[in-house]
Amino acid sequence: MSTIELQHLTKAFGDLIAVDNVSLKVEENEVLCLLGPSGCGKTTTLRMVAGLEVATSGDIFIGNKNVNNLDTRDRNLAMAFQFYALYPSLTVAENLANPLFAENLSSEEVKKKILEVADILQLRDIVNRKPHQLAEGEKQRVAVGRAIIRDPECFLFDEPLSRLDVQLREQMRGQIKEVLSDLKKATVIVTHDQLEALTMATKIAVMRDGLIEQVSSPHDIFAKPNNTFVAGFIGTPQMNILDCNIIEINSSIIKLKILEQEVQIDFITPLNVNKNDSYFIGIRPRSFELVNNNASDNFSGKVDLIENMGSEILVHIKINEFTFRSVQSRSKNLNVGDIINLKPKKGQVHIFNKNGEVIRNE
Amino acid sequence: MKKRAIGQSGWLWTSLASVVAFIYFFPVLFIILTAFRSRSDTLATPPKWIFTPTFENFYHIFFRSMANSTEYVATGFHVYFFNSIYISGMSVLLALLIGTIAAYGFSRHPLRGNDTYLFIILTTRMLPPIIVIVPIFLIFRITGLAGTYTGIILMYTAFNLPFSIWMMKSFFDELNTEIEDASRMDGASESSVFFGVCIPQVKAGLAATSVFALILTWNEFLFSLLLTNKLTRTMPPAMARTIGGEINVDYGLLAAMICLFIIPIFLITYLLQNQLLRGVTFGTIKK
Ligand SMILES: Nc1ncnc2c1ncn2[C@@H]1O[C@H](COP(=O)(O)OP(=O)(O)OP(=O)(O)O)[C@@H](O)[C@H]1O
Ligand SMILES: [Mg+2]
Repeated sequence: MSTIELQHLTKAFGDLIAVDNVSLKVEENEVLCLLGPSGCGKTTTLRMVAGLEVATSGDIFIGNKNVNNLDTRDRNLAMAFQFYALYPSLTVAENLANPLFAENLSSEEVKKKILEVADILQLRDIVNRKPHQLAEGEKQRVAVGRAIIRDPECFLFDEPLSRLDVQLREQMRGQIKEVLSDLKKATVIVTHDQLEALTMATKIAVMRDGLIEQVSSPHDIFAKPNNTFVAGFIGTPQMNILDCNIIEINSSIIKLKILEQEVQIDFITPLNVNKNDSYFIGIRPRSFELVNNNASDNFSGKVDLIENMGSEILVHIKINEFTFRSVQSRSKNLNVGDIINLKPKKGQVHIFNKNGEVIRNE
Repeated sequence: MKKRAIGQSGWLWTSLASVVAFIYFFPVLFIILTAFRSRSDTLATPPKWIFTPTFENFYHIFFRSMANSTEYVATGFHVYFFNSIYISGMSVLLALLIGTIAAYGFSRHPLRGNDTYLFIILTTRMLPPIIVIVPIFLIFRITGLAGTYTGIILMYTAFNLPFSIWMMKSFFDELNTEIEDASRMDGASESSVFFGVCIPQVKAGLAATSVFALILTWNEFLFSLLLTNKLTRTMPPAMARTIGGEINVDYGLLAAMICLFIIPIFLITYLLQNQLLRGVTFGTIKK
């Protein structure tokens, strides 16, 4: 059975704790995306799974078997490396064939597989070139090809699409997803591109400074962030996270003081919060409705700046020295200097305590 | 790099380069010319530039003998020349073998205090050999290594190791370790990672290191003078003996020996020059 499980995995480089007590489970047929800012320990985690880095403590199970003391080559995994790791003196085809040596295939079978992979990754025209004759994006696709050409127990990808242009990236995302869903293997994909994670993953793990902040489905990680870091990290444009003070609690309807304005928000169900305490409130730029008149349930502010986003615009609204941002349709005809009223959409307001942890609807 | 015709770089630079080259090569040229002069031409003052070339000096190396005051003594050239090749070759090979493996270890599996070890290894080359020659001489006497091939080969291996380790380590450090990791993922064992992936990538480094070590060993004088005997002596002390402090030094004979002496090193450097160029400029023209 193809599964990967990490239990309390820790890696220290001297004083630096690169991976801190990480526990994760990837089931068969599941694609886990490790998502996080640069230097948070994604590659290190992946390398420990591959056996290329020795864990300081913790356990790794592959197919329910503890592999802590198993050499890389005995773990039977395939990995696409962040910096491609192509053999400089071999052609693309030879590079692709290399993982197959251990499998004792006939040269026809090898050739067939190479062409198959070259087709998937659109490498047909360059199979006879050497790595130094390739563009970055081509090298990256060869690196991915080297991972998917074999039939290993599990797949590991380290930033497989980071160097491709937007169009090719979208295509490859689809191709890889298709390949993976045919193979039904546990897969870990490292990325710092949330769009990649949201589209390819069945499960996303958000990492920061070696710690796992949240593991959820792509939808939940977007709709129900566990803390302010995840809330701010996932979703573009970034969520507005503002200080607030609770003035009045009336069952699920809570009156808050935000940016010196008093606003009433309906949280649908009552929340475990205290009157007069301070909290953070998080509202995504797309979670505002433009309303005509100022009422107790909306914000009112002055349009400070308008950024073009194609069919939509990103409006920076200034209230008492603070700005927050809202995405609006171009058809609304907003101009800098307008006073507008914005009402948060029901059920799309997140509230966090001062430690940044979410307070969920009870 | 594009090759440029001489004309393009301007006559000034060309002539300047020629002058510098001439100054550098003048001693070598003088030796080569001397090797082909007859005995009387050699001793002429001022030096004779126009003369009838003769092979008599080369003939004397092999078929006569050198003058040692009144007696004639065989030069023993073939023995010493073979010794030089055998001893330098063996010690460079050994130093390269041990040095490459050690460098790989230092580069890929650093120990606690790795840099300290590397520094200590280098300090053994900070002293001029003459300072350590007495204790080494005594050690060789006591252990019976004095005068043996094993002894002098070990000595030169130790002499070449620090340099080989440092140089090879810098080549291994330059490599992309992900390639090694990738071949581990592909099922390679540690030894095939080393021999199949790393070594082919540091060929230029091996060539450069071996040529430098070879030149140092080939020309080494002091250790050979004191640690070898009549049978295991290498060329540099053997050539010194043709001078020997006698009144009538046979400069022609010496020059002819030098000519033959530089041929092997010249050939090897010439054959490896492409690798060598990449080796000494590593890092600057990578990728
Ligand atoms: N061999 C090493 N020795 C010392 N520190 C290391 C080593 N490898 C990684 N680190 C450190 O561990 C931390 C995590 O590194 P890692 O490569 O896992 O980050 P990452 O999440 O993959 O980042 P990126 O998105 O930039 O690839 C970083 O601070 C890095 O400097
Ligand atoms: Mg990384």
